[in-house]
Amino acid sequence: MTTANPSSQTDCTAAPSAAEVEASCRLPVLFLVFSGVAWLLAGATLALLASIQLYHPTFMEGCAWVTYGRLRPAAVNALTYGFALQTAFALALWLIARLGRVELTAPLGLTIAGKFWNIAVTVGVLGILAGDATGFDLLEFPPYAALPLFVSYAFIAAWALVTLHRRTERELYVSLWFVLATLLWFPWILTTAQSLLLCWQVPGVVQAIVSGWFGNNLLQIVLTGSALAVLFYFVPKTVNRPLANPGLARAGFWLLLLIGGWCGLSQLAPVPAWIPAVSGAANALVIVPVLALLVSLWQTAHGKIGETWKSNATFRFLLVAAVLLLGVTLRTAFFSGHWTQFTFFAAARTDIVLLGVFGLAALGALHYIVPRLTTGEDELPSEGLADLTFWAALLGVLAVGMGLSFAGLKQAVGASVNDNFLEYAVTGSASHLKQVTVGYGALAIAALAFLVNFALAVRRCCLACCGGAR
Amino acid sequence: MRYGPIIGAGAMFSLACSWAALIMAPQLQLGALAPAPIPNTSDVHPAARPGLAAQGADVYRSLGCAQCHTRQLRQDALLFGARLNDLGSNASTINLELPTSGKTNLVNLDLLIALAKARPDLGIQNVTIPPALATDTNAAAALKQFAANLTLLKQADNKAGIVRPTTGATVNEVVAKRPADILVKVGPDAAERAVKLLTDSGAKAELVIYNLGPDVERGWGARRSVARDFLNDSPVLLGSVRIGPDLASIGTRAPEKFAAPWKAATMNATAELEHHLLVHLYNPRLLAPASTCPSATYLFDKQKSEVRFVGEPLALPGKDAPVFPKHNARALVAYLLTQRTDISLPEAPTPAVVKPTSPPAPAKP
Repeated sequence: MTTANPSSQTDCTAAPSAAEVEASCRLPVLFLVFSGVAWLLAGATLALLASIQLYHPTFMEGCAWVTYGRLRPAAVNALTYGFALQTAFALALWLIARLGRVELTAPLGLTIAGKFWNIAVTVGVLGILAGDATGFDLLEFPPYAALPLFVSYAFIAAWALVTLHRRTERELYVSLWFVLATLLWFPWILTTAQSLLLCWQVPGVVQAIVSGWFGNNLLQIVLTGSALAVLFYFVPKTVNRPLANPGLARAGFWLLLLIGGWCGLSQLAPVPAWIPAVSGAANALVIVPVLALLVSLWQTAHGKIGETWKSNATFRFLLVAAVLLLGVTLRTAFFSGHWTQFTFFAAARTDIVLLGVFGLAALGALHYIVPRLTTGEDELPSEGLADLTFWAALLGVLAVGMGLSFAGLKQAVGASVNDNFLEYAVTGSASHLKQVTVGYGALAIAALAFLVNFALAVRRCCLACCGGAR
Repeated sequence: MRYGPIIGAGAMFSLACSWAALIMAPQLQLGALAPAPIPNTSDVHPAARPGLAAQGADVYRSLGCAQCHTRQLRQDALLFGARLNDLGSNASTINLELPTSGKTNLVNLDLLIALAKARPDLGIQNVTIPPALATDTNAAAALKQFAANLTLLKQADNKAGIVRPTTGATVNEVVAKRPADILVKVGPDAAERAVKLLTDSGAKAELVIYNLGPDVERGWGARRSVARDFLNDSPVLLGSVRIGPDLASIGTRAPEKFAAPWKAATMNATAELEHHLLVHLYNPRLLAPASTCPSATYLFDKQKSEVRFVGEPLALPGKDAPVFPKHNARALVAYLLTQRTDISLPEAPTPAVVKPTSPPAPAKP
């Protein structure tokens, strides 16, 4: 310790060792990670079944539980709440403990809260399949699932914030800015949206505005923010360099919070015209913070990208996630207007952010975190399965994103043709929708490969601990 | 940054800004919106749904119909036109036939001049009367005035550099067939000017509107959807992807505007539409073979069920035996039948509305 930093010198005496930090993380983080990726498998499977119905309407016909109108929201909500948010909690807890050099508060309580979160998600998905969906995008869970979901979140977030408060490393690193902002942002938007939609029931199209606002904040701030937290921790880590331009990252962080919440309403039709206009402008402006953040990362990794790509399993995921973040931002900025309204193109944003930007960044981080928390090694037991996870996830995200985008462009062209809407906009996009099915299948394979790898790591860990008993 | 609370406060400020702009401001603007009275009736739009249709809204939500169907019609532009409905009668309206012939061939001379002013692309012919009428003092005076007005019009044309074609349609021919579309799909100023010119000449003219855009031209509805259409909805299921046709106006859509068009066989169009929608719910591919809409066979009974009010069986096209729609199927169809955008609203007028800009000019003395 240098004398230049007296506070950390005093804190250092109380700081736990890295092993102690990891020990405190082990149970809750591994539990959340396992359940999160299991939900990725389940959600991708549901989305796969739903996507088949788009071009093969007699598939699973005759049962209300698995009709497209229920299967698709069940899939999207399973992926959002089961996979994305749950994995984001795991990453947030791990980053707080790791960067704050502090043992997690109440690891057992966190695990129990996580368990309840999973029960609530299961109840919610079953509720949607049973026909109790609320009908609002990304908020479809019925109230009897949404309330327990929020309560279990409150416990997870409260313990995460207590842990953050007890940190021994006082300086907050960029990743923790994002973690803190998203931990606070999510309950704020959730309570706002749920209270306005389910309790007070604001009149008319304001409901659609509220749900659009919630959906955008969830994607643009909470999930993108979690992905950026991961990127800002792991990119410097994997290329083994300090963050190049923290000032730029700071500007990007604040601008993203300020602008990001304004996007996402650019395609509502029966609302006052200023709302889509303001949102469309925000869609374009949000390029600035995203570019600032990505440039900061790029400067950090510059010159070592190719080398790290080959040597590090985590970095590959992160690089693709960063490229997708840039891509989805530009795509939304330039194509989110009137032209792609009501098409798969606009709908694809949810899938790309959820599975591409956040999903890939999270899977990358998990390839770093899971082996350290289980076997204590640097890599997961099976390199082949890690490769399979990466390539399958990459293929899956690209197939889903591009399939939906091209289907949407075809719809957009068809929508401007007056006659025969059915042929131009619906049946004509079947070939692209088949790609989407392949994509979800690949994502399910990626999740399965990761889970097998995870199980191998846990098995090796158990054998090392109590192998003599067997 | 060392202090978490600063980040928390900053985040709260950022969120509060977006909340104030995108939640509070729309609520302030739209929160007090009320149903609009429909002119000449005691009804309002949107009307409260009858019980069965209200239950149908719940079926619509529960089955996730909004995942594939939007209920928001778009419109690219609102353009205007002027339509001439009647000549009117005033001092400058003269009959070109002999009083003894029993026929009338009225011509409004002021209207010819007014129309020539509104449509510089049309030629204008002089009006001649049978010699027997030349003694009619009224007609002679009107003709004299017309000749003077024609000279003034020519002077004005020369000044403005307007060269009228000598061949093709003339204002005299356009006026002869009524109602005549004088201006079509022009801006509001040009249309209002034309209507004013025509009504000032004593004729009856009206401003007409044109809602344009693929949705309207496809026959999905008469106008765009606006916030007021959804006042009675909760939850408001607008839908965001069109995997199937828009349903904003399916309750009033013409039979030939469906994906599977049909011709109305009886006078009871609503009953036919109801039957069509029920068959569509049972199996969309019985009507439109290419449809990708999932069939909701679970809303129908094959056998007559034991409940008290079964209703009429549904006859299916083809060889299939009739089926019995369950309560939910009838409710869903009742809900769909309440979907309409044919009612003119101040913020979104429909073409059917007659809206004169000024009261017809009183007959000239």
